[in-house]
Amino acid sequence: MNKPLIELKNVTKTYSTAAGDFPALRNVNLDVQIGEFLGVVGKSGAGKSTLLNMINGVDGLTSGEVIVNSGGERISVHTLSEDEKAAWRGKTMGVVYQSFQLLPMLTLVENITLSMDLAENFKPRESRERAMELLRLVEIEEHADKLPAFISGGQQQRVAIARALANDPDILVADEPTGSLDSLTADHIFDVFSRLANERGKTIIMVTHDVSLKSRFTRCLTLVDGELQDEVPADAKPKRSRKQ
Amino acid sequence: MTQTKKKRTSARSQPKAAPQKVHDAAPEAIIEMRGVVKKFSNAAGEFTVLKGVDLQINKGEFVSIVGKSGSGKSTLLNMITGIDHPTYGQVIVNHNDIYTGVSESARSKWRGKNLGIVFQFFQLLPMLTLLENVMLPMDYVDLYDFDERPKRAMELLTLVGLEKFANKLPVLVSTGQQQLAAIARAMACDPPLLIADEPTGNLDTRSADTIIQLFEHFVEQGKTVVMVTHDPSLTSRTHRNIILSDGELIDETISRSLPQLRHRHMLEFTKLAERRMYQPRETIISRDDPIKHFFMIRNGNVEVVLQKQRSKETILSRLGANEFFGDIELLRGGKSIANVRAGSEPVEVLMIPRDDFSRVMDESPITVEAVTKIVQKKLDEHRMADPRKRSRE
Repeated sequence: MNKPLIELKNVTKTYSTAAGDFPALRNVNLDVQIGEFLGVVGKSGAGKSTLLNMINGVDGLTSGEVIVNSGGERISVHTLSEDEKAAWRGKTMGVVYQSFQLLPMLTLVENITLSMDLAENFKPRESRERAMELLRLVEIEEHADKLPAFISGGQQQRVAIARALANDPDILVADEPTGSLDSLTADHIFDVFSRLANERGKTIIMVTHDVSLKSRFTRCLTLVDGELQDEVPADAKPKRSRKQ
Repeated sequence: MTQTKKKRTSARSQPKAAPQKVHDAAPEAIIEMRGVVKKFSNAAGEFTVLKGVDLQINKGEFVSIVGKSGSGKSTLLNMITGIDHPTYGQVIVNHNDIYTGVSESARSKWRGKNLGIVFQFFQLLPMLTLLENVMLPMDYVDLYDFDERPKRAMELLTLVGLEKFANKLPVLVSTGQQQLAAIARAMACDPPLLIADEPTGNLDTRSADTIIQLFEHFVEQGKTVVMVTHDPSLTSRTHRNIILSDGELIDETISRSLPQLRHRHMLEFTKLAERRMYQPRETIISRDDPIKHFFMIRNGNVEVVLQKQRSKETILSRLGANEFFGDIELLRGGKSIANVRAGSEPVEVLMIPRDDFSRVMDESPITVEAVTKIVQKKLDEHRMADPRKRSRE
């Protein structure tokens, strides 16, 4: 078996608040293989977003280790300095959030080239060509020169996905990417992610609270109160309350 | 933030009318829209979203724009920011006719230097820290020395109270903080004009309040802020509240005089209203004349005067801009109970024909209730001021 792309070892994250310590993740162990389309479901506050923030190093962990084997390097994410982390993240991971966060004054293609220009991975001449290719991949190239205000929410999210792919990362991390879309549009966005995993070999980790999507992931994890549940389809198990 | 807070307190403690001062000196227009029409075509046919909008917004004003969903608010903002093009008409922003003979890329550069824009969803780039997000516009329009940019971005983050979070990614701060960072970014190139589309629509009341205080601070510094909102608690804090109804602007004197009216009635009054000027001391209504109009004051003051033969006149009350008269008689029936004349300056009034006023009042009990309260207050004031009645008591 190949070395996992992502390894989480006993990852614990505790937030200190005025009301005391709050454990957001407890002892999470997880291996993610290349090309997986991994879903993470759970109720609000279960630790889903925290888990993503541990994987991409956006937030620091309390204890444990996150290792990412990408681009021929084995990186222990949380041992990097902030600057190193930002540079590593820029080439290794693309992020997609619920709100699309496209810059309103830039056209769609400019929104994507901006990401490449910032990372300086591609020459300016290459970057437009590549941006058009990515817009084609998410099937929105005919709108390339429009401003975000003139396309629908679903189309904006496609552009945000194309932007996340700008620097050709191995991993895409998506936090509720369909959360503000109607179900039909959400379905189309989901297809885009599926294709990226199946046809492009991207590894995708998607947080969602929509359990109806569970069957569409190659694997789906459930978080309850910061703990990973056994990977058995939820409906096969007797129901249990959060407190058990 | 301390500085902002100090300013905020002073802004709040002033009487509500104080910001109007901006109109006293010759106002300098920063936005002028002339006959702006915007039509959209779709499969269902052609749809006119803006139906000939004339609007002037002056430098230093804090303006809110409200209207129901679909009334054309966002389209109106898109005309000002140059994001969309009018079908007809002219838009002049900061002395530039932004649609005549201007290329898209020239407009884009112009926009970067002249406008700060804030949207409901903050559009911060998720892979950049707050500081880097704020520096982005400076890079884009190539303003400020390269080395100066981080310092300026930090100053702006300090102004919005986010200096401690400068190196965090947007996902690690609250939505209110993300919007504050977006505002800091909008001000990065020190634009004279800030345009905000529902900037508090996604925020809790406390965060919304912080953002409005920040806008007030910018206005105190001479910036112009134009904000689309549908939160009435915010419109009360702006100098002017512009209401759009079905693609047309409602006369601001009408919306201020009769705020309880439905927008469609305000629009009806806007179309029916006749404007008239009166010279200083000119009689507007004579006592015992039948009242044919409902009057709203646009500019200047009027005096309500009781003149008994052989006795000295008594001024029962003075009314100013956005107040109305003729109401007592129209609601209670009968003739004028006193003379109404222009004050020491010329007065401009809006007049609504009696029958139209009565018809709309019949459909708007909430306005009748509000006007009745004012009528009662006026009658009490008149009674206090009337020497005949006072001597009887």
